[in-house]
Amino acid sequence: MVHALEEIRRVLVPEGVLIDLRPLADNWRVEVVSLRETKRTGRVEDLPEQTKGDLASNEAMQEVEKRGWFKREQDELFPLFYSWDTPSEMEEFVDDDWSDFVGMEEGTRRTTRAAWAVADGDSRVRVRVEIWIARWRKTKLNLEL
Amino acid sequence: MSLQKDPDHNEIKHLRTFVDFTDKRVLEIGCGEGRLTWQYAKDARSVTAVDLDTDALRIARVDRPFDLEKHIQFASANSEYLPFSKEKFDIAILAWSL
Repeated sequence: MVHALEEIRRVLVPEGVLIDLRPLADNWRVEVVSLRETKRTGRVEDLPEQTKGDLASNEAMQEVEKRGWFKREQDELFPLFYSWDTPSEMEEFVDDDWSDFVGMEEGTRRTTRAAWAVADGDSRVRVRVEIWIARWRKTKLNLEL
Repeated sequence: MSLQKDPDHNEIKHLRTFVDFTDKRVLEIGCGEGRLTWQYAKDARSVTAVDLDTDALRIARVDRPFDLEKHIQFASANSEYLPFSKEKFDIAILAWSL
């Protein structure tokens, strides 16, 4: 990762901007939502691979900051929703597309199905993914290696 | 499948508060199928979008809006070796790829 960041530094103009945009493991919240209400029904379970990946990315950014390659100017967390018409579609997606980094316990699945079954007709099911965004500035230091 | 990813467009809203794309040369690393790329490319001077997933790049090339055809270049590249000369870009975006 540090080598990739060195490459990015090379192709950026002096004082160029690097945006780091990525989801963070945070046992993302599962909700049944309609125009009238939002009901929390559980959380996905972070798998160790996801947590390890976040840690490695954070350490890489800390390393390049320590080396004076980039300086962090601004950062923020914000929610991004994945939304489905039905709980079964959500479960299929989680099992097929996210199985490498999150899981979903049977209790959360049952609670979500039950809440959706009695919710308003416009209800959807969603997962609230936490997204990290940070702006880094390529430093003026000219220590080309 | 009824999946809607980011129906509130939170990602592009936040991205725009962090960086001004106007007349900038942008490198996007991890562009995938171009979901994010289409949303800011019109503002930039040029966009070079790279990914290692050739299937996703194929979809991105097919889905690229007609008016952005000359504006966005796609390439299969690894972030550990970027096939570009030094100091070519004003902005680099690591899109879900660090």
